[in-house]
Amino acid sequence: MSAIAQGKAAVIVPPLAKSPGYWSGVWRRFKTDKVAVCAGLVVLAIILMAIFADYIAPADPTRSSMLRRLRPIGTPGYPLGADELGRDMLSRLIHGARLSLFMGVVPVFIAFIIGSVIGVAAGFFGGKFNTITMRTVDVFYAFPSVLLAIALSGALGAGITNSLLSLTIVFIPPIARIAESVTTQVRSMDYVEAARASGANAITIIRVHVLGNVLGPIFVYATSLISVSMILASGLSFLGLGTKPPTPEWGLMLNTLRTAIYVQPWVAALPGAAIFITSISFNLLSDGLRSAMDVKG
Amino acid sequence: MLKYLAKRILYVLPVAFGVSLFCFLLVHIAPGDPLTSVLPPDASQAMQDELRKIYGFDRPLPVQFGLWLLKALQGDLGTSIATGRPVAAEVWRAVGNTLLIAGLATVIGFVFGCFFGFVAGYFRGSFLDKFASMLAVLGVSVPHYWLGMVMVIVFSVQLGWLPPGGAGPGGSAAWKWDWEHVSYMILPAITMSVIPMGIIARTVRALVADILNQEFVPALRAKGLMDFGVFRHVVKNAAPTALAVMGLQLGYLLGGSILIETVFSWPGTGFLLGNAIFQRDLPLLQGTILVLAMFFVGLNVLVDILQGLLDPRVRRR
Amino acid sequence: MAHDKVDATHHQTHPDRGGAGTPLLQAKTLTKHFPLGGGAVVRAVDGVDFAVMKGETLGVVGESGCGKSTTARVVMQLIPQDKGEMLFDGEIVGGQALTLKEYRRQAQMVFQDSYASLNPRLTVEDSIAFGPTVHGVSKANAILKARDLLERVGLDPARFAARYPHELSGGQRQRVNIARALALGPRLVILDEAVSALDKSVEAQVLNLLADLREEFGLTYIFISHDLNVVRFISDRVMVMYLGEVVEIGPVEELYGDPRHPYTRALLSAMPSMDPDNRTMEAPLAGDPPNPINPPEGCRFHPRCPQAQTVCAKVKPVLATVGEGARQVACHMQVPGSGHSHAPALEVAA
Repeated sequence: MSAIAQGKAAVIVPPLAKSPGYWSGVWRRFKTDKVAVCAGLVVLAIILMAIFADYIAPADPTRSSMLRRLRPIGTPGYPLGADELGRDMLSRLIHGARLSLFMGVVPVFIAFIIGSVIGVAAGFFGGKFNTITMRTVDVFYAFPSVLLAIALSGALGAGITNSLLSLTIVFIPPIARIAESVTTQVRSMDYVEAARASGANAITIIRVHVLGNVLGPIFVYATSLISVSMILASGLSFLGLGTKPPTPEWGLMLNTLRTAIYVQPWVAALPGAAIFITSISFNLLSDGLRSAMDVKG
Repeated sequence: MLKYLAKRILYVLPVAFGVSLFCFLLVHIAPGDPLTSVLPPDASQAMQDELRKIYGFDRPLPVQFGLWLLKALQGDLGTSIATGRPVAAEVWRAVGNTLLIAGLATVIGFVFGCFFGFVAGYFRGSFLDKFASMLAVLGVSVPHYWLGMVMVIVFSVQLGWLPPGGAGPGGSAAWKWDWEHVSYMILPAITMSVIPMGIIARTVRALVADILNQEFVPALRAKGLMDFGVFRHVVKNAAPTALAVMGLQLGYLLGGSILIETVFSWPGTGFLLGNAIFQRDLPLLQGTILVLAMFFVGLNVLVDILQGLLDPRVRRR
Repeated sequence: MAHDKVDATHHQTHPDRGGAGTPLLQAKTLTKHFPLGGGAVVRAVDGVDFAVMKGETLGVVGESGCGKSTTARVVMQLIPQDKGEMLFDGEIVGGQALTLKEYRRQAQMVFQDSYASLNPRLTVEDSIAFGPTVHGVSKANAILKARDLLERVGLDPARFAARYPHELSGGQRQRVNIARALALGPRLVILDEAVSALDKSVEAQVLNLLADLREEFGLTYIFISHDLNVVRFISDRVMVMYLGEVVEIGPVEELYGDPRHPYTRALLSAMPSMDPDNRTMEAPLAGDPPNPINPPEGCRFHPRCPQAQTVCAKVKPVLATVGEGARQVACHMQVPGSGHSHAPALEVAA
């Protein structure tokens, strides 16, 4: 080893002009997809809105006023009306983006990590481990996702942490299944065989040769789950299983405004519209990513 | 074929077992002693011990599971805490109501989904195609409970055409097949149909495009068959898959109807679940979910078997 | 025995133990069966014996499905054998003296599909440098070595090192794969249909490159191909496989000039000749195509063999040395007293 150690200090690798890699190709294709770019901008705007809610929102989202309950859209001082407790809808919608985005992204992200680990391991190692994991995944597949989320949340009880937990559990099986199937494909490629032939251990092969080729498709699939997660999370709040009042969250707002549909129907429908816009933007963005990254299926 | 049938059924048994285990554990992942869910708040220690014995909570978990499964197989899903009635009876009544609107929703979704999908696939790349694929994205992106609210706002509050919720005069017990009652089904069914419509449209579009790309279609045209002949071939080739997707969608709707039923106060399984959650009635929650999941599993197998009957290629998989 | 760790940027990595003229690799009754559902077994490799001498190129030919590629993968230890063992320079592969990881520095493989055998997300130099880094070479040294190897396989590193596989032609990619195989400084390189997917002109260039590299680095090749012309060009000795078994081994010109096994003869007569005056008159292969799931009893070739007799259907011929050379044939017609009417007469012991 001494020769290597000596060499290490002295070696200077002249840099070469890298050829445009995979990601620059993805970006080039993505840029030409107008729908996806627009959706991406909307998502970006919503994220910025959530981050800077304190500065953007015209009023305190929890300040209620008994005198100004259920005002219509366009009321002076209440551009999007007031809710059933006289709180400013615009401010509540802006602040509500925080939790709704959080509940859309975080469960999917955690499930992405856990599901990828499970699926990649099952796909790479195969055999009994694969059989057991995939049969377990099949059991979870026997539940429609809404039912599974509600069952878990219903048993665990209301609250953000419990919703987060149950949504994460809901998304692990589908992500693990996708991860398993792409990993099984990659594992049979000759470059993985060549890596095994060079004496690399499983961890190194997975790190260098498998992950780079499977994480893209898994990631694209996971992004398509963000909108599902948002809808499910606000659905849980809508059933009273998510956030507790007075926290602004779109699903909960929809729930508390349900009875107001006879008085101020369009104000009552606003939080749902916010969920809809965000969810469709995420879906279109995900579709754009899928075609830009050339993921099949 | 028999071998295929046996294989499918052998495959589903462990899944059904896993589903039961999951439902059994639901009560046990609930925070706190599972007993608290069946205890009156002022129960004495002696009463607690006795109830613990009656419910079998003093035994080891695997034994409890075995006993629970045995009873469930005989149709005994325990007793609802809120109503004191057997869970099985409550669930069966609700399942009937859910099947009613889920079935109607599937039919609506199938008809319109096939129509949009066919048009989009036949006129690929046209304005109609883009419109149909936009519709499919909308279908999966819209929060359905919100769509239900908007439906109520438009058709009940603003236009006054249809009732906003419930199951008609006298509730589901006095159900009759007349307009007075059926009108209550329309809004929830249409709302629900948006879910399968998008998915069926997408499937049919892909199928039609695929079939039209195959070699036999120009061959048919070359043979002088009119467009109707081509159409018939497309239908014959696309129908098994489309029907399979429809079957699966019915299963999804059975489980996914919860939120929509809550919006429309429709007395189905979703409504039942909503109540179970609200009152923390865990036996009811457990029973409802078990029945719905088993329905879904059974439907899956049924669809597989039907597909195997229709299409011999499926059997070899 | 402890291996000296030597800087892998130099090529003479591994000391020669047995000396020149000894076998580099000996395969003894290598066997690999793949169970199918329902009790059926694919006898992909069934008791294969052969040796590769140091510095020589052993060509392996046979129809598709004869077990050539499975043999390659077993020799490379990508799949473990069910039975049999291999000796590499006298040491048992996977034993105490020669661990699997150590063996893999000394034996490398080039695959047929040049695109599938390169990771699409890695640049060419990263792909080549991967192997050395696995064996403890620093990343910087490995990259330098990769560029050096690119130069030696005829690709200008300044132009190609930082490219991705999809930007290269098939021939260029296969050169990269060869460089990748050489990066660990192996003594044995298994070439599994390595030029088969290339255009004829490119194939010739790559073949010449392989021949040059063999000289330059003192390599030993196992060259697997279905193309008999290519095998004749590059090989010193040729091994013919049929349904998972070796039917004939011999020096290339001897074997091509005087094939002893009926299967070898059939194979060679089916070979397109460049000389119009030398067209074959012999019948091409007849009978059922080979099926390794239910190989026939006795000699596996007998159902298609024009000279088959009763003994061929009953007794399995063993691979036996014929004549005075390094010729081995598994055919009853070559064994005195085998019971086949074409067999040479038994020499009466004095």
